Amino acid sequence: MKSFLQLGLGAALGALMLAAPAAMAAGDKIVVGFATAQSGFMQAYDKPAEDAARIRIDEINKAGGLLGKQIEIVAADTKTDRAEGAKAGLEVIDKGADLVVVSCDYDFGAPAALAAEAAGKVSFFLCAESVKAGIQGVGPHSFSASVLAAVQGATMAEWAYNKKNARTFYRLLDTWTEYNKGICDGFDWQLPKLKDARLVGEDTFKNDDASIAAQITRIKSLPQEPDAIMLCTMMPGGVSAVKQIRAAGIKSMILNGSGMSGSYWLSATPDLSNFFVPDQGSVHGDDPNPKVNEFNAMYKAATGSDPSSQYVYPGYVMIDVWAKAVERAKSTDADAVVAELEKMKDEPTLFGPRTFTAELHHQNKGRYLITAVENGKARVVDEWTISEPIPVDYLASK
Amino acid sequence: MAGRPSILARTWTTPVILIIILAALQLAALAVGSGPFNQTIIEIFIRVVLVVGLYVFIGNSGVISFGHIGFTCLGAYMTAWLTMLPAIKKSKLKGLPDIILDNKLAYGWGLLAAVIFAGLAAFVAGKVLMRLSGIAASIATFAVLAVIIQVYSNWDSVTGAQSSVVGIPIVRVVWPYFLCAGAAVLVAYAHQISRSGLALRAARDEATAAAASGVDIPRERLVAFTISGGIMGLGGALFAHSVGVVTPDTFYLGLTFITLSMLVVGGMNSLSGAVLGVVILSIIIQLLRWMEKGVDIGGASFALPLGVQEIAIGAVMIVILMYRPAGLTRNRELVWPPRKLSPEGRPAAPADGKTA
Repeated sequence: MKSFLQLGLGAALGALMLAAPAAMAAGDKIVVGFATAQSGFMQAYDKPAEDAARIRIDEINKAGGLLGKQIEIVAADTKTDRAEGAKAGLEVIDKGADLVVVSCDYDFGAPAALAAEAAGKVSFFLCAESVKAGIQGVGPHSFSASVLAAVQGATMAEWAYNKKNARTFYRLLDTWTEYNKGICDGFDWQLPKLKDARLVGEDTFKNDDASIAAQITRIKSLPQEPDAIMLCTMMPGGVSAVKQIRAAGIKSMILNGSGMSGSYWLSATPDLSNFFVPDQGSVHGDDPNPKVNEFNAMYKAATGSDPSSQYVYPGYVMIDVWAKAVERAKSTDADAVVAELEKMKDEPTLFGPRTFTAELHHQNKGRYLITAVENGKARVVDEWTISEPIPVDYLASK
Repeated sequence: MAGRPSILARTWTTPVILIIILAALQLAALAVGSGPFNQTIIEIFIRVVLVVGLYVFIGNSGVISFGHIGFTCLGAYMTAWLTMLPAIKKSKLKGLPDIILDNKLAYGWGLLAAVIFAGLAAFVAGKVLMRLSGIAASIATFAVLAVIIQVYSNWDSVTGAQSSVVGIPIVRVVWPYFLCAGAAVLVAYAHQISRSGLALRAARDEATAAAASGVDIPRERLVAFTISGGIMGLGGALFAHSVGVVTPDTFYLGLTFITLSMLVVGGMNSLSGAVLGVVILSIIIQLLRWMEKGVDIGGASFALPLGVQEIAIGAVMIVILMYRPAGLTRNRELVWPPRKLSPEGRPAAPADGKTA
């Protein structure tokens, strides 16, 4: 066995050296490759953002294309499977993709992004919110179009402190996903910077817990109800947690990440009030920027329905910033495009400014709309940008 | 026994034929040379390793194991620990021993370490489990899988818990996978014709008689369990290097059942069944995927709805098992020249009237 393996190693090294470089892309068009889930559970996350990306691509093509060339779309299905994801990445690269778009979630997008990185192509996660979706977890040509989960936690804490006068906070973490932990990481970073703000307690639960009665009892047994509960959770368990907190008579304001945005679930909690989420843009038709409302109408015309949550928007932002970088670099060469992307500082987009640096291909600061739910109705009440970016070192250490 | 050729002389063509089949896939990959096609062939080779690994234990002992994918997980993480860049390990997997944290090995050593580690783990687990038989043994192996996956899903400082472990060097050339699949076939063959393998097969077919003839059944099972554990570890390590990302949930029920069904459909009790089950089912899966993407037939484009592939492969397996309950190979090995069959599907008695 051992000698056979060594033989294999020798042959493998030889073959590695002989491996030919990938085929060159055709010259008269620019190709965007979607290595995303067209089936399986990730499809629910990937499809809306992908539709938004296609809307931006159509706009660019109608306006004469990019560098005078039309953008062509190629796609391959990852089937919400990691091994298939690697294949899908290779497939779109094989079809000449200049930009490889990968799944919303870091875990499911990484295999395709790694394939793109190895082939020297720019890759973009549609809406991943982990710091690993970029340089830290893939490599120097990888980006994410969304904003870090930690920024959401930090935004909610700072906003509630300044605008709602919240001083006592309770931290309730659903340990199910990295995303949830990310929100609470941002909250943990922000809280000590807020003068007089205190953490009066913390607890954890799991998304699929049928009951969080034990956690609620601990909140109820506090001498005073906390001003705000930082709830780091997401669908589907988040709805049940919110219901149970309110059913127990706890009136504190509830702060969340964007995972609880959108209105599709509000019918399950008809009288919900004092509940706040950060949004990159409003799906409720009341965005302060009229262009966002125009986009929502376009999205409805293209797909037949309104955006269901703010996770539609990063797809549009992604094509927007990438196309700008290609225009400025006057080339689709990966290194040149990455260099232009890294020059972007507060680059305006429909859904807030975007900054990329040589250290971080993600947003560690970002403008968020604050959406409030009152009497079961969601509307935008404010907007907030955290006063300083969350340090990359802090994010990477988490 | 006089005049009867040795088992090696009678069966050596089996591994040769199987390796020729694998070589044909390797040549196809060289001829086509496109990234996704190569990756498909790599996936087939990895599954060959896994299913052959299952066969070494299940086929020879007759005990169905639901736990082998646990050893695959051990192998995948072992090679990840050894071959990742020290900088990434130090930031994400701080709990590893310093000697692993500070060094980076070539992936060939990662594969070797995966085999040894998974084999050792199988030896330790098998030492206890191999005293059980029948359904109790099967359920106990499943318990081993559950334990391994739970530990790897929660041991944050060493496995990164449920987060993806990234930074594993990706190997996109097909050769190493082919060599490993070939090596797995050879090892499985060598085991099955060895004294230990034959004793185990005898115990599978007639436990009481085998024990009465002096076969130490737990011991022979342990040998097979250890070898198959090592091969499963190799498969896991190859998986890690083919995708570049490992997470514990990759190595759970999904992979357990697809590999077991490939073994059963191919023919559980023969090495040829293990290899052919993988190759044939993988080819059918691939054809269905192409049909999902759409094919042009005489100018008309025809595409299956997405997701049909998963349903169709289930239906295909039912049909195969309806007509071939013992699997595609009917539990026989491929040999050259082909053996004549009596109507019952057993090799015909030799012409001189002696029983085989």
